[in-house]
Amino acid sequence: MTMVPQSSGNLARSGGSGTLYDVLELILDRGLVIDVFIRVSLVGIEILKIDIRIVVASVDTYLRFAEACNRLDLESGNKAPSKLTDIVGDTLESGAKGKSKGALSGAAEAVTDTIRGVTGKGDDEDEPEEETTERRRRPAKRSSRRERSTSRAEE
Amino acid sequence: MAVYIYSITFKDHPLRLDGLEGVGASASPLRTVTAGPLCAVVSDAPEELRPKRRDIGRHQEVQQRLLADGTVLPLRFGYTAPDEDTVKQTLEERGDEFADRLRLLEGCVEYNLKASQDEEMLLREILTDSEQARQLNDDIRAGTAAPDTAVRLGEMVANEVRARQEALASGVIEALRPFAREIDSSPPTGTDFLNVSFLVSDEQDELFLATELSLAHQMGEGFEFRLNGPLPPYSFI
Repeated sequence: MTMVPQSSGNLARSGGSGTLYDVLELILDRGLVIDVFIRVSLVGIEILKIDIRIVVASVDTYLRFAEACNRLDLESGNKAPSKLTDIVGDTLESGAKGKSKGALSGAAEAVTDTIRGVTGKGDDEDEPEEETTERRRRPAKRSSRRERSTSRAEE
Repeated sequence: MAVYIYSITFKDHPLRLDGLEGVGASASPLRTVTAGPLCAVVSDAPEELRPKRRDIGRHQEVQQRLLADGTVLPLRFGYTAPDEDTVKQTLEERGDEFADRLRLLEGCVEYNLKASQDEEMLLREILTDSEQARQLNDDIRAGTAAPDTAVRLGEMVANEVRARQEALASGVIEALRPFAREIDSSPPTGTDFLNVSFLVSDEQDELFLATELSLAHQMGEGFEFRLNGPLPPYSFI
């Protein structure tokens, strides 16, 4: 994340997180290419490509996940799971078969609620219970994202 | 003299280029090359160009400035032509193609959305939901596990992580699909589970942004949504 600091006005709407860094791949790998023009050789461009996704199937990855699970304190930190359940719904089952379907339909439900909220159909009284709870939890809607990324950075 | 090419626009674009600096150490001023209805924004090509923040930022700033006043075809970073005549000739020869693309993209901008979920939270959830994973985890902690247990647990968890992240990603994309003209999904990097660009028209802009914001808040703590835009339509050219 060495390329983060960039104070461009309208570029980043999300607070605090890297702006230029997050659009690097678009600037470097997308955009119009005209074959008669010549691309200057870009020394160092490959550095940007090594940031591969963490979830790959390898023994190293498996061991890393296992270690991360071993380290978890399941007793004390029970606030997080209940929150995720809010989002993906209660339809999740532990069977591998039902899993992705459950999460997906849960996400779709969240989506429906969202659209309902956006299109302004329901006034406060019509909103689902869940929505109300969410709001109470985070009164400052606008700034919560910034708060989240800040606190993550401090951890 | 070799020129660096930033963008192509229609020539009736306001083309406010004042105060912008070109790429390279010399920071040459920007100028335009016009042919027919089209216009290319160029500067002197620097001797040496490196994908550093300064030059990538300048390339991007030109696009943002042009996007603010109209439609722009942003070139990929790093393209040069031997001279202005080559640029002019290209605009003439391929003018119809460029003009068509510009018309298609009129009134549209790109938004790029990346999202990640706190890993600890995700793992917690998996262990809470899966009795089998929890049992393996307990065995390892108790020291009673068979030697291959860590790999088995890890594989089980990794598969769960992938399944859940893919489901989350498609959930987010489907939520925003009604407000996008086109969608371009790329492999996420790092700890992200989502990396997707949306082509959004003027009319849909407000709804798209409101939906994204609402979605991000609904997902709640432990999730980080990073929306960048409005951007020139890099991914939709």
